[in-house]
Amino acid sequence: MTADVSLRAWGLEKSYVVQSIRTQALSGVSLALHPGELSLISGPSGCGKSTLLSLLSGLSRPDRGEVRALGTDLCALDDAARDAFRLVHCGFVFQGFNLFPALDALEQVQLVLDYCGIPHDVGRRAAARVLDMVGLGPRQHLRPAELSGGEKQRVAIARAIVKRPRLLFADEPTSALDSVNGAIVTDLLREIAHRSGTIVVCVSHDPRLIARADRVIEMEDGRLCRDSRGASRSGATETCP
Amino acid sequence: MAVALARKTLVHEWRRFLPAVMSVGFSGVLIIVQGALLLGIVGTNALPVTQSRADLWVGFPGTQSADLGRSIDAGAAAELLVDPRILRVEPLLLGSGDWRGPRGGGVSVTLIGIDTRPDGLGLAEAMPRSGRALLTEPATVLVDAADLDKLGTAIGGAAEINGQRVRVVGTTDGMRAMGGVNVVASLATVRALDRSLAAAGDVTYYLAALRSPGAARAVKARFSQSETRKRFEVWTAEDLAGRSVRYWLLESGAGVGFIFATIVALLVGTLITSQTLTAAVAASTPQYATLRAIGVPFPKLRRIVVEQAAWVGAVGLALGLAGSLLAAALAYLNGIPFALGPGIMALSGGLVLSVALLAGVLALRRLRHADPAALLR
Ligand SMILES: Nc1ncnc2c1ncn2[C@@H]1O[C@H](COP(=O)(O)OP(=O)(O)OP(=O)(O)O)[C@@H](O)[C@H]1O
Ligand SMILES: [Mg+2]
Repeated sequence: MTADVSLRAWGLEKSYVVQSIRTQALSGVSLALHPGELSLISGPSGCGKSTLLSLLSGLSRPDRGEVRALGTDLCALDDAARDAFRLVHCGFVFQGFNLFPALDALEQVQLVLDYCGIPHDVGRRAAARVLDMVGLGPRQHLRPAELSGGEKQRVAIARAIVKRPRLLFADEPTSALDSVNGAIVTDLLREIAHRSGTIVVCVSHDPRLIARADRVIEMEDGRLCRDSRGASRSGATETCP
Repeated sequence: MAVALARKTLVHEWRRFLPAVMSVGFSGVLIIVQGALLLGIVGTNALPVTQSRADLWVGFPGTQSADLGRSIDAGAAAELLVDPRILRVEPLLLGSGDWRGPRGGGVSVTLIGIDTRPDGLGLAEAMPRSGRALLTEPATVLVDAADLDKLGTAIGGAAEINGQRVRVVGTTDGMRAMGGVNVVASLATVRALDRSLAAAGDVTYYLAALRSPGAARAVKARFSQSETRKRFEVWTAEDLAGRSVRYWLLESGAGVGFIFATIVALLVGTLITSQTLTAAVAASTPQYATLRAIGVPFPKLRRIVVEQAAWVGAVGLALGLAGSLLAAALAYLNGIPFALGPGIMALSGGLVLSVALLAGVLALRRLRHADPAALLR
């Protein structure tokens, strides 16, 4: 029996009620994501991409449906257990870089390892190595105020991957960046998926990202409507009705 | 050592935290200065006790404050000396008088009569031995150096007390009282000046020196039996001083004023500090939410905020103590009674640190906004 290394979801439903107006954010979403792939979720604004990401990563629970990550049923875990699961397995990159203004790049990355209970010296070396990998070795002692947007996002990526998560989630990681920096970040995410076999799930409507993804999942109105693979995207498995 | 997020943020964004640190510091100064002044002022009623070197004080049963002493029978001395642990006993008299200086106008004064022998116990801390010797001459008095102006006199000056001429032959140090003026003289001079003391051989207090000061409690206990307690009561010096301070704290209402002002200082401090800390948490909400997303449990975030609050409290307290020492120096230079003791500093330190921590706890509510799902929109 081999361990389940994928991220799967069945029949996800999620709705929000604000001032007695009900919004169906997701209706009946099922999908399976695989290691070593950069999967991209795209679609018009408000179609439920971010909501799907937060359910897949265990940040929130679906109204109905099931999420099974690396063989663990996320919906069956309580909050503390999901925290513990994310601490071990999940990395996140957000549109806003969310770096602490008081810490330099090295400390931002190292902080995560502190919380994982990794000894200071080991953590420091690991953090420096990952910053090197994202091309920020020489700039590791600069604070966010002294870094460009692209550099900040690379620090955020380093922070997300330093603990070697099996699942990496990114929500619009390039939308605040210019094209050069966007391309750098895109390549980084791809490389992480290919090199370390991480499941990388990225939400974006950035065409550059779409062009370089291994798999593109398109959504509309809370449903998946297209799922295509490969550079040519010839293998469309499903299309909107 | 882990990345010191709380401390680094505090240093990096010190401008943001400054109001909190200042408000904690000011609360501290306010409480300490008020308390020290109050204790200093109230403590002047215990000056005859605190400025003397006696181990035990013997006075009228039930005396509530040192300055309210009433006469006891001179026979008490013989009774006391029966105990071999008592080395010697000397009388101290408290009387009152009306001072008239060369410029006219009356000042009511407290007369303190002491034994003038060179190694006398009474007010030994307030004057040099030479000052004591000067009082052997009849109708001579010492006044406090800080009271010379108030009495309109100088060393060598003459005045009248209760209509009798006296000469100021020297000064005492640290005998300035808040209410009246302390005038020190020999036992005989005080009996001559205050007629109510003249008649009887009675004394206000007996001051006892013990062979070993450690025996004070035991000797006190021996003379606290019911048949002696009808005639006199024995206190250790600290007992009588503490009793005097407590009596005036309650009696004067100043204690209530102090408590009220302290509560106000604490409230304002808590308010400003919690506002500042809340704003700091709010500014870092996305960062905290990111930590939550990667699985850092909520209690660990709480620790960051509480640690920040503790730092604010500690730095504020240090400022407050520095300010209080400055106030103490100013008070000393101006001869103002200012009892800056470890008690009041510990009290204020404790209160001020609790203010900071309470403010931190209030700021924690804001941490609930650090919902990682909110970063995904
Ligand atoms: N916390 C929430 N409370 C109320 N409604 C929400 C909440 N989160 C999402 N929604 C609603 O759910 C729907 C899907 O939102 P979602 O954020 O997933 O869209 P999206 O595809 O990420 O859009 P965008 O591309 O603009 O980021 C939207 O209509 C949104 O208004
Ligand atoms: Mg979104």
